[in-house]
Amino acid sequence: MKRSFLFPLFVILGCVLMVAPVPTSAMDADTLVVIQEAEPVGLDLMRSSIQTTMSPCYNLHDTLFHPQEDATVKPALAEKWEKVDDLTWKIHLRKDATFHNGETVNAQAVKFSFDRVFDEDIQSPHKGKLSAFTELTVIDDHTITIKTEAPYAPGLYMLGYYLPIVPPKYIAEKGDSEYNTHPVGSGPYKLKEWVRGEAVIMERFDDYYGPKPAYKTIIFKGIPEEASRIASLVTGEAHVISGVPVHQREKIKDSGKAYLTPQMGVMPYLGINTYEAPFDDVRVRRAVNHAINRELIGKALFNGEAIICAGPISPRTFGANPDLEPYPFDPAKAKALLKEAGHPDGIEARLAYPTYMSQIQEQAEVIAANLGEAGIKVTLEPYERAVMWERYKGKQHQMFIYWWDDAPEPDRYMYSLFHSESRDYYYKNPKVDELLDKGRTIMDREERAKVYHEIDRILYEDCPWAFMYVVPEVFGVANGVDYKGRRDGFLNMRYAKPKG
Amino acid sequence: MTAAGFKQAATERLGPRLRLMGETAREVARRPSALAGGILLALILLTSLTFPLFYDVDPLKMDLLARFSPPAWQEGGSWAHPLGTDNLGRDILSRLLWGSRVSLLVGFSAVLVAAIAGIILGLISGYYGGRIDSVIMRIADIFMAYPFMLLTISIIAVLGSSILNLILVLGISDWVTYARTIRGSVLSLKEKEFVEASRAIGTSHPVIIVRHILPNVISPLLILATLRVANIIIWESGLSFLGMGTPPPMPTWGRMLAEGRIYITDAWWLVCLPGIAIMITILSTNLLGDGLRDALDPRLRNL
Amino acid sequence: MLPYLLKRLLHTVYVIIGISVISFFFIHLSGDPVMLMLPGDASHQEIEDLRERLGFNDPIPVQYVRFAWNAVRGDFGESLYYHVPVMELIVERLPASIELAVAAMVLALVVAVPIGIVSAIKRGSLLDMGAMLGALFGLSMPHFWLGIMLMLLFSVQLGWLPTSGRGTWLHLIMPATALGMSLMAMFARLTRSVMLEVLSLDYIRTARAKGLKERMVIGKHALKNALIPLVTVAGMQFGFLIGGTVIIETVFAWPGLGRLVVQAIFNRDYPLVQAIVLVMAVIFVGMNLLVDLLYIYLDPQISYLEDK
Repeated sequence: MKRSFLFPLFVILGCVLMVAPVPTSAMDADTLVVIQEAEPVGLDLMRSSIQTTMSPCYNLHDTLFHPQEDATVKPALAEKWEKVDDLTWKIHLRKDATFHNGETVNAQAVKFSFDRVFDEDIQSPHKGKLSAFTELTVIDDHTITIKTEAPYAPGLYMLGYYLPIVPPKYIAEKGDSEYNTHPVGSGPYKLKEWVRGEAVIMERFDDYYGPKPAYKTIIFKGIPEEASRIASLVTGEAHVISGVPVHQREKIKDSGKAYLTPQMGVMPYLGINTYEAPFDDVRVRRAVNHAINRELIGKALFNGEAIICAGPISPRTFGANPDLEPYPFDPAKAKALLKEAGHPDGIEARLAYPTYMSQIQEQAEVIAANLGEAGIKVTLEPYERAVMWERYKGKQHQMFIYWWDDAPEPDRYMYSLFHSESRDYYYKNPKVDELLDKGRTIMDREERAKVYHEIDRILYEDCPWAFMYVVPEVFGVANGVDYKGRRDGFLNMRYAKPKG
Repeated sequence: MTAAGFKQAATERLGPRLRLMGETAREVARRPSALAGGILLALILLTSLTFPLFYDVDPLKMDLLARFSPPAWQEGGSWAHPLGTDNLGRDILSRLLWGSRVSLLVGFSAVLVAAIAGIILGLISGYYGGRIDSVIMRIADIFMAYPFMLLTISIIAVLGSSILNLILVLGISDWVTYARTIRGSVLSLKEKEFVEASRAIGTSHPVIIVRHILPNVISPLLILATLRVANIIIWESGLSFLGMGTPPPMPTWGRMLAEGRIYITDAWWLVCLPGIAIMITILSTNLLGDGLRDALDPRLRNL
Repeated sequence: MLPYLLKRLLHTVYVIIGISVISFFFIHLSGDPVMLMLPGDASHQEIEDLRERLGFNDPIPVQYVRFAWNAVRGDFGESLYYHVPVMELIVERLPASIELAVAAMVLALVVAVPIGIVSAIKRGSLLDMGAMLGALFGLSMPHFWLGIMLMLLFSVQLGWLPTSGRGTWLHLIMPATALGMSLMAMFARLTRSVMLEVLSLDYIRTARAKGLKERMVIGKHALKNALIPLVTVAGMQFGFLIGGTVIIETVFAWPGLGRLVVQAIFNRDYPLVQAIVLVMAVIFVGMNLLVDLLYIYLDPQISYLEDK
């Protein structure tokens, strides 16, 4: 009966051999490994607004303009441009740009890309951000005009992010689904291979029109565990990592193996349902603002790196009102305000927060404790992503914590968050609507700033949020690599080069 | 039905049960490991019920500037917080003690729910047999093949997480094992003389089930339940770990573990200690469960 | 043999249908994914349009029938989140899941069976007691906690092993150990008790009395009999392993099905959840079937006509 022994053993052995792991390709000096919190969900830039998906995409795809840190733009696929009138730009494309498959980047491709953003089948999340544009017309092979409904100051900047130019022939041939996994762009890198769950491997595109990137191969990986990500940087498995929480930053600096470079900031906020009692009373909302000890949270949870906000516009963003002082932490005042609003014994409230972002729960717990001391008894409601979002849109939250990034361009988030045509779930103010509309149309920067100062002030006084702070995020970069993070938070590896 | 037969039925019904209980206790006590498990579990239960008498520290009291104080025996620790503080400066010992209540409550209640559901379905299935048996067993097959973690996660996603929901979900997901065990025991009991005797004198089915069958399936049930408590506690902590456990602020071991995980390189005690707490609790139920099984299962006992 | 096989296959089919019904209704109860698929500034009209287009306005039974009809023709639809066919995603992830499960299983067996045998032979010795105590600890540890502790020790402190991800054999060690620990404990205990039982049987006593070498007795007679329950349990556990790796995959960023399906549940990616649950169930049921067949192979005396 020897047989009966060996048979299962063979079965097991066979299984092991069949699924034996493939060793990863050897690393060399020409290769750069980038590790983010997650792998991309797809590689079609048009179909995702997730940071960790967009980052690798910007290496593959190119846009008409390269947005700059001060919310201006530089030429990319667009060589030069001029204003025809307040509503129209005429854009001249460069003639030497091609897609990775050899297709030329021409006016027809731009037109195709523009239409594709609004295609129902694509469900592009960038549709709303480009909704100010009404029409794109092909003038000749390398010239287009693009029109807006009203004058739109951040127009080129928005095009620079949200209108990736895609190859019409290739997509017609392969279909949208295939394009999402095997995209062909016109960016400095082309896709070599995407092993889902493991790595996206890109290679330098030799016919790229712009400056040749320093690294030949870029590998994007996703590691959700913070500790693992940081360990991978320190051990040399990775060259660039994102998602470096504040409490780990010293460790990276002390390791002597890597350094930190600032990128975008995360701006958590506590939204308040201003439609329903007791928060329909501005005094109650102010009480909430006075009850939160931002300074202490910033010091303890964010190692003093948090930048305290007065109003909704990040102090780092163009348009923030410099005259506003953050609401001081003052539980007594908060209590007095509650009393004044007719709640001498305090109130009870629900505070919802999403569970999928690190450190949000900590903040929620501290805020709940703070509010409790000021007489607002809080029940915490942790929700997973989908439920949080659904309840948010269903106006079911009373107080909630969400966040936004502090982009350099105020319209990008202020319009989206406070204009009642974009979302009016918890707050609506005609005056703010009017100013937001106006802010988009003014081309003069100084004049424009004044409008946003005013918006900032009105919201500061009206307290649709409890304003919190901006936590600047950083990338960790290995010492051998020279890379400077940018305020948009995207990992554009064309800007990385070996040090020294 | 003769008088003798009736009497025999009565003794068959009561006899083994009484005998078993005393014997079980003796058997368990004779095994040092089982005894240790029993004592340990009793100690854990006792502590979890009475700790406010000797360690009355608020588990929710934050001290943001004293976050990550190490345990007292480590450099920088102090006896003000014997096991150190967590990421918000809360006392870990106190949180562990309070967390024990949730873990034990969920663990034992879920087992109770599962056992009750399993007993009812197992009894019906085994006793009545036929169509109803095959329907119940078919459902059991489906439950067995359904990936357990996914079942609980999707139910929690529907219901939202609270202690009650956790108990129900974990309980409902775990009924199959009980139902099958009970059914097996019932099938063998059904043919026993005292049951047939009782049926012959016209005792109704429910009465037979409650008075004759049920008492005799208690021992396999007890073994199973003791061993399943461990699993439920692990699952509860696993769900908390995935962010689907009971909501804050009340601490649970699983959530403490999950929250401490991101600080693993800063403060080992945040993840290490709740894990040890879980392990000791489970160890005690495992020891006791093993002891019970050895004591009650004659086949293994004879070895 | 044939009627038995047919019966088992029929049973398998019906279990799988049952699972697909349950999971379909559960996930549809949790709410629809349309809101998640659209950006925050999408209008009510857009939401309604998409819902209509994706067929979420139909009654759930209608949606189920549509799903089932497509599924039997091999079409499981496209992921709502990744925008690629779900089977493509699953085929990409399945090898990683199987690899981890097989590694955990092999590791557990390789370590546990010898320990169990030695413990049984040297029953009551210090070695036996040590091994069984170790097994008890192994059974009592939450596996994800063990995983984190391993990571703390071997990656963070010692730097010997890569922290996470999949690639080389080194990547496999920690997740497989964490996942396999409780199995190891279970197998060690099982092997020991089965061996003890077998060793006390008459024919082993006879073999011994006949003066056969101890090694022969154990190797040839005892172990062979011990194999049956081991194979049964291992097969059953393998099915559980595929579905039970959710947390370990999260801890070690292992790109398997577990991580994919949890994300899919959170994202309400209906087609993906549905397909993964089905795949896992098929593996589970398939393993059970395989175990039953092995059973017949290992012990021809077992009547396969008997209704178990």
